[in-house]
Amino acid sequence: MKQFTLFGRAEGPSGLRLAGAVALTALLAAAGPALGQQQAPILDAMVESGDLPPVAERLPANPLVVEPVDSVGTYGGTWRSALRGGLDNAWIARTVAYDGLVRYNREWDEIIPNLAESWEVSEDATTYTFKLREGLKWNNGTPFTSADIAFAVELMSEPSYGVGTFIKNANNPVTAEVVDETTVKLIFEKPNGIIMDELASVNGLTLVSLSKDYCSQFYPKYNPNAAEEAKAAGFETWELWMANRCSWSTETIRFANPELPFMNAWMIEEPLTGDATRATFVRNPYYWKVDSAGNQLPYIDRLEMRVSDSLEEITLMALNGEIDFQDRHIATVANQPLFFDGQEEGDYRLGENIPSNMNTMVLQFNLNHVDPVRRELFSNKDFRIGVSHLIDRQEIIDVVFTGQGSPGQAAPRPESPFYDEEMTTQYTEFDPDAAAAAFAAAGLGEKNGDGFYTMPDGSPLVVTIDMISAFRAEWTDMMELMQLQLEAGGIDIELNNIDRTLYYDKRPTGDYDAQIWQGDGGLDVIQEPRYYMPSGDESVWAYRWAQWYLGSRPEIAEEPAEWAKQQMELMNQLRASGDPAERDELMKQILTIAKENFPVIGVSLPGNGYYIAKNNLRNVAEPMLHAYLFPTPGPYDPFQWYFAAE
Amino acid sequence: MLGFIGRRLIAMVLTMWAVSFVAFAIIQLPPGDYLTTYMATLAANGDRVDPATIEALRQQYGFGEPYIVQYWKWISGIVLRGDFGQSFEWKAPVTTLIWGRLGNSILLEGLAVIVMWLVAVPIGIYAAVRKYSLGDYLATIGGFIGLAIPNFFFALILMYLSFIWFGETIGGLFSPQYEAARWSPGRVWDFLSHAWAPVLVLSMAGTAELIRILRANLLDELKKPYVTTARAKGLSEFRTIMKYPVRVALNPLISTIGWLLPALVSSSVIVSVVLNLPTAGPLLLRSLTSQDMFLAGAIIMLLGMLTVIGTLVSDLLLAWIDPRIRYGSK
Repeated sequence: MKQFTLFGRAEGPSGLRLAGAVALTALLAAAGPALGQQQAPILDAMVESGDLPPVAERLPANPLVVEPVDSVGTYGGTWRSALRGGLDNAWIARTVAYDGLVRYNREWDEIIPNLAESWEVSEDATTYTFKLREGLKWNNGTPFTSADIAFAVELMSEPSYGVGTFIKNANNPVTAEVVDETTVKLIFEKPNGIIMDELASVNGLTLVSLSKDYCSQFYPKYNPNAAEEAKAAGFETWELWMANRCSWSTETIRFANPELPFMNAWMIEEPLTGDATRATFVRNPYYWKVDSAGNQLPYIDRLEMRVSDSLEEITLMALNGEIDFQDRHIATVANQPLFFDGQEEGDYRLGENIPSNMNTMVLQFNLNHVDPVRRELFSNKDFRIGVSHLIDRQEIIDVVFTGQGSPGQAAPRPESPFYDEEMTTQYTEFDPDAAAAAFAAAGLGEKNGDGFYTMPDGSPLVVTIDMISAFRAEWTDMMELMQLQLEAGGIDIELNNIDRTLYYDKRPTGDYDAQIWQGDGGLDVIQEPRYYMPSGDESVWAYRWAQWYLGSRPEIAEEPAEWAKQQMELMNQLRASGDPAERDELMKQILTIAKENFPVIGVSLPGNGYYIAKNNLRNVAEPMLHAYLFPTPGPYDPFQWYFAAE
Repeated sequence: MLGFIGRRLIAMVLTMWAVSFVAFAIIQLPPGDYLTTYMATLAANGDRVDPATIEALRQQYGFGEPYIVQYWKWISGIVLRGDFGQSFEWKAPVTTLIWGRLGNSILLEGLAVIVMWLVAVPIGIYAAVRKYSLGDYLATIGGFIGLAIPNFFFALILMYLSFIWFGETIGGLFSPQYEAARWSPGRVWDFLSHAWAPVLVLSMAGTAELIRILRANLLDELKKPYVTTARAKGLSEFRTIMKYPVRVALNPLISTIGWLLPALVSSSVIVSVVLNLPTAGPLLLRSLTSQDMFLAGAIIMLLGMLTVIGTLVSDLLLAWIDPRIRYGSK
């Protein structure tokens, strides 16, 4: 019984895939009763005592059948890991809270059914109709229906509530329409070609994580007394009370309320409150997935997460074999030899992670500087080429990354279908002569007595680069090396290490020379094009052009250069297109323009990361792609991991 | 004496008000606010936020109002209703977050203080009385080493050694099974089996300092004529030393009791982070970096209050221990 691997690569529009999914569903539904459903032994007693309906009644009519990575597993066990501090919601999002309407396959190249068993897209890509599985239930046993999805859209559309992802997009508002119990329509004002990716990513949770039954009691629309009740509970407004009980997306507070209904494989047991020293999750008896032999998932009974402020403690726990699977926080470059040497002692193994970041650091000169002289210089491609040739990338790789990785600009990763070797390698060779020629072409002034170039008008040229060493420890070492390298080539550099808030506050002012950040958008090229075009607030190199594109801050927006406008045009077409092939083609055009104009400078392609897994933990995929939007290990189905009997 | 306490109480209220005003101002000093850091965090994750949404949240949280208005809302909530406001990051009332952690802080720091005194006072007295003996030298060397090693580094060394030697990871204050349990003999034992490490770390530098101060004071005191007189009158050596010289030498130590707790809390932040102790320190650190201002403000306020109360206690203790102060206040 093969599952979605049947389809291979997504070629055509989703209609074709839909037919496949429907056919498969029919097959499975026919095979359903013959599979003989099994449940975890820890639930047996509850079913016998009548506290829980039998497994057949808990599962939907056609549960999602998951093909195990290696083999059908056995029930039981506790997966131990650790959270860093009490607000580490990202790890919970990645291990527990990733089930949306749809999801990505394990190769991250196709969107596959999840809570929705099928979907249809209208010709003009404005209306998406989802068909939910029949008989889905929240972990408290109440039915999960299309009304819950409509409720989420309604609540998240409140201007005063929540930080929505696509639901709050002012440029393309969405409404939800309930057709029947299992059919729901999302209707957008304008064509929306990227919504399926949004729903399959980590952001898809919001839409399927607000039980109308439970959450409407905090909503004045449904409960006229909601405001008073909020006050009585010690909250000024209904929104604050709602945020505490039914938060949006994967906000930490969502895991502090055991009453909040879940659709995930595990549900809250010990909540993650402000003073909790551990958080635990226990199997959801209503989880709607089965393995290929018809056993209800998940295999693992419990998740136990230690809440620790101490990285050292988590590292020692892992070395001591007290962690069953983890990569977050501890799987650093510095710790790798330590973990490698401790494998036997700690009875764990290292698995490979492929990061989605395409660069260890991206240097972004401010093309929209408020000072016209500086703006002209930084906008000059020759100047940026010169700087790029002065960076001895191999030295940085050898010294900071113990030789791991390879020189590269800001460009899609080799694993990406958008990979372009020329874009990755252009101007990466360390070549002071080429740099000098480029600076001459850029019209820089003569070098002064200290051996530094001057501005074209002869005034001193000192470039200040803003950095946040607190975010990545290795950035300090990288920047100090780069400073030496650039100064040897005649560019006077000042490093300005600041706090993250200030870093963000400076952007609208336009008064900064350059900033650095990590290389987002290596695999999630379409979703995160910040370095390929001025796509949003994170495009620090062209913040004011991005505002022009977004239309959010007209007071500082500036009309972009012709090439950037062209990219925005293409991106608008891309976001409105329902055809994956056409979207890829448009993205390639955007990337070609980025390659020609070389807006930002990259350093090196990061070496692969790693995760730590206990030797008796099975069905763990390797290698794993690793990204925020693709919340590893979530897409690799941790609910089908199991502990082998020793 | 009652008049003295009354005057002190009035001064304390005024001091607290000043502390609250300054604390609130300091929290607001850094650029941006909680929402800026929240957006930064989302952005670092690759998430995108609609600025209009953030603007709406800003209105909701009342960030747009002038400083005085925000301050007034905050302080009147505390004084009139015992409401310390909301923690933005935890989306919950501040009061639900701080009591447990402050309790742990007071418990742990209290233990550290007791250990400090129990160890330092006898050693200090011995080192003064037996000046330049082997014991004095050992106490001095030990004391200087204790002062020189940074707290957090000592904590790291402890963690490493216990991992290498015993295969144990020390951290936290309880084993998982006792974490949420009620107090019982088993839980007390479990607590002590975890707490020895942080107490050792926290009390080490303080102990060293106390030994040095006590030794120096006592040496000054022992030279004085009344000690010679006491010896000449045939008082036992023990009584000669304990009756007055030690009491006088303790004076500067007692008068700083009030500062002990805040000093310990602030110096123990990094230790608490390294050893993963559920105390107020890491919570304060976290709330300051994320600009969760009502949470940070509440912790700073309460630390201020503890200092003020501690100072009062130390004054009363001084009056009890040093007759000269009592006569001066009449």
